Amino acid sequence: MNHHIIWAAFAIQHVIFGYFLLINTTYTLLILLALKDILKHSYLSTARSTRRLLVADSYYKPVSVVVPAYNEGPVIVQSVRSLLNLHYPEFEILVISDGSTDDTIETLKKEFRLQESKKPVRLQVPHAPIRAIYVSADYENLIVVDKENGGKADAINAGINVSSYPIFCSIDADSLLEPDALIKSSKLFIEDDELIATGGIVRILNGCTVKDGSVLEIGMPHSTLEAIQVLEYTRAFLSGRTGWNILKSLLIISGAFGVFRKDMVVAINGYRKTVGEDMDLVMRLHRHCKDNKIPYKILFVPDPVCWTQAPFSLKMLLKQRNRWHRGLIDCLITNRKLILNPKYGAVSLLGTSYFVFVEALGPVIELMGYLSIPVLYFWGLLNTKFLLLLVVVAILWGISINIATIFLDTYNYRRYKKNSDILRLCLLAVVEFFGYRQLTLLERVKATFSFRSTQWGAQKRQSIQADAQKSGS
Amino acid sequence: MLDQLTHSPHFYHYLYLAVAFLAAFNILEVLFLLVHKTRMERNEIRKEALKRRVSTAIVTVTDPAEILPEPSDYVEYAAYSEAISSVLESFEGELAQRASGLVRKLGIDSYYRSMARDAVWYKRASAIDTLSAFRLPHNREFFLAVFRSEASADVRYRIVFGLSLLARGSEDIVAISKALSSLPYLTAKYTEDIFFNIITALKLAGKEEDFGKFLTAIMNDASIRPLIKRDCIAACHAAACERAATVVKRYFLTFKHEPEILIACVRSLVRMGNFDVIHEALFHPDWRVRLTGLKYAHLSKDDLLKDLKRLLHDSNYHIRVNAGQALARLGAPGAQALREAAGADDKFAAEAAAYALTLAEAAR
Repeated sequence: MNHHIIWAAFAIQHVIFGYFLLINTTYTLLILLALKDILKHSYLSTARSTRRLLVADSYYKPVSVVVPAYNEGPVIVQSVRSLLNLHYPEFEILVISDGSTDDTIETLKKEFRLQESKKPVRLQVPHAPIRAIYVSADYENLIVVDKENGGKADAINAGINVSSYPIFCSIDADSLLEPDALIKSSKLFIEDDELIATGGIVRILNGCTVKDGSVLEIGMPHSTLEAIQVLEYTRAFLSGRTGWNILKSLLIISGAFGVFRKDMVVAINGYRKTVGEDMDLVMRLHRHCKDNKIPYKILFVPDPVCWTQAPFSLKMLLKQRNRWHRGLIDCLITNRKLILNPKYGAVSLLGTSYFVFVEALGPVIELMGYLSIPVLYFWGLLNTKFLLLLVVVAILWGISINIATIFLDTYNYRRYKKNSDILRLCLLAVVEFFGYRQLTLLERVKATFSFRSTQWGAQKRQSIQADAQKSGS
Repeated sequence: MLDQLTHSPHFYHYLYLAVAFLAAFNILEVLFLLVHKTRMERNEIRKEALKRRVSTAIVTVTDPAEILPEPSDYVEYAAYSEAISSVLESFEGELAQRASGLVRKLGIDSYYRSMARDAVWYKRASAIDTLSAFRLPHNREFFLAVFRSEASADVRYRIVFGLSLLARGSEDIVAISKALSSLPYLTAKYTEDIFFNIITALKLAGKEEDFGKFLTAIMNDASIRPLIKRDCIAACHAAACERAATVVKRYFLTFKHEPEILIACVRSLVRMGNFDVIHEALFHPDWRVRLTGLKYAHLSKDDLLKDLKRLLHDSNYHIRVNAGQALARLGAPGAQALREAAGADDKFAAEAAAYALTLAEAAR
């Protein structure tokens, strides 16, 4: 028995060492690729081209903005006001109340003078029955759909069916789009006929000053828990997605902000009911296009910005991470055809492999690493010197990746202008490795063993203004 | 493997080195980050101040080159080029001439011309974009020369765009079309953009009819893709090229089996005030052509009430919904037809009619 335990602990050392090299090398390569891409982007994204698109009325495609909402009463008005501020020649906003049990519909009815509409709906993708459709008397492009509860994916499907335009943008109800975000992302559909989906960067709203649905002042949240998420999001989007973009292996377009060609989403029967519906959709789009030999592109663009509320308590954060990890595993199982299948090229061999071996299996491997330490120590087999040095190298390497991410953000976008904010982010790049990482790791391990659960784990909502004040005060 | 590594006498030296290197690297990274941020901020302030100075000089001084210093680095060149482009976009006549003069006198075009030969493709692309914004006629030959030697398609698309802003007559249209044909088809909007620029440039030169001649020349040219023809007509719509109306009508009558061309024709002709084609469009087998007809049905001089009522029963969802809205736009007779249809047995037609009625009521 002892022999087996010792053998396992030894074996796990090799796996951990390999995992350590794999994960850090991947992140470093992604950072380098992202740096190259951002350099290119800084040369090519001229204000001139956006201006030309805005002034000439023939250079756009109308867009339907779909906002699934479940009990979003405290934030929905701000969110809709933010969307009404979008700079775009022709768009409609579809708020889909997914069987909300709070005052979401009543608040919207009162605030935007909703009137019932008899718009006929075409059942292109499946969803739960619609109870009523309303149109605002004040804003003719604001449509509210009241439907029976069916989950986020189901609500977006309803939005797709009610929408009138060939491109739709899906955005979370607790998020705010920057006024030019829609034109920056949808102009890509004009510039490239092969583009079927794109997403912009999602940034943390906590700590920012918001007025009438617009972000007036950008700031870092005071709470360390929320501030670390700023770093995490920046890393995930600016290095992760930009890097995967270049490798043509982008597997996620955030559910908080994504723009899609409707005909392609309809062709794959819309969103599938899962807690990782955003990743699942992109993976199925890849499969559909590759299976049917359709030339296509799925791109991440770093400058359209969507501001979203991050969990402000540890409990909410862990719930969110649990859901994300369950979603990831569910998507990988459902789309297992993509795993190590040369038919799907880089999407399978690079993108999906990374998600399987680093993101999905990573937490379990990392936990086994932690557990093997006392086992080896107990049997007197622990090489303490090697362990300490390896841990120090891993942390320092991780910190350098984090700081490089902050550099990527500062190089081109400079959202956080104060030096104190930048220095705080650098400090958080260190702090992240002590406690925060282990807590989220444990939650992801828990999620690994409960991935069949389809519970969403609804988040508490605060009014966007109140939230910003709370974090900023 | 790990055993071998940990027993190697040099292994720990390398690990210590890695720790020292990473620690130093992190500190340097933070320092570089802060220094770079400060430098970028300073450059931004410098650039904005210089842009204001250049714009003011162009507007207030007869020869701004006399009072403005020659740009010396990338930031200053960017400031000059943005200020000049902005003036050229907003003004014509003397101010535009002063801005263009500044480009030559201060060697700004030479700087970007040399950048257009850089080894990095996106720097070349950026330089071509900037040169295009200057709209200097003498850049035409330069663009053509660069186009011939350029390897990157991304840059070549930009060169064609730049050329389209400098079109002067039939010869240029042919040259641009040839350049365009040598590249893979990019997007409808890109091609439309190119021809929009050409028409706008021709209009400024008083040669609008040249575009009509070009359309006639390519109408039966099988080497030109129907998509390109469609984009040319779409550009006529966007740039309101009224002198090409007769040719566009001929396209409508000739390309009966090319729905994309027909849609572009209907849109262009309607914009030019020719509503004769709407009625015919409503009968086309392709639903997209019928839909385009419906969008403009209220402008037609023909009595379309009967046809629109028929289209309420169309098999296509979009046609039914838009037929309802077209009827609503016809006023009282349309509203009466909608009320009748709203109570009809055909559920789909009734839904479309009821929806159109609610929209009409809301609009009132």
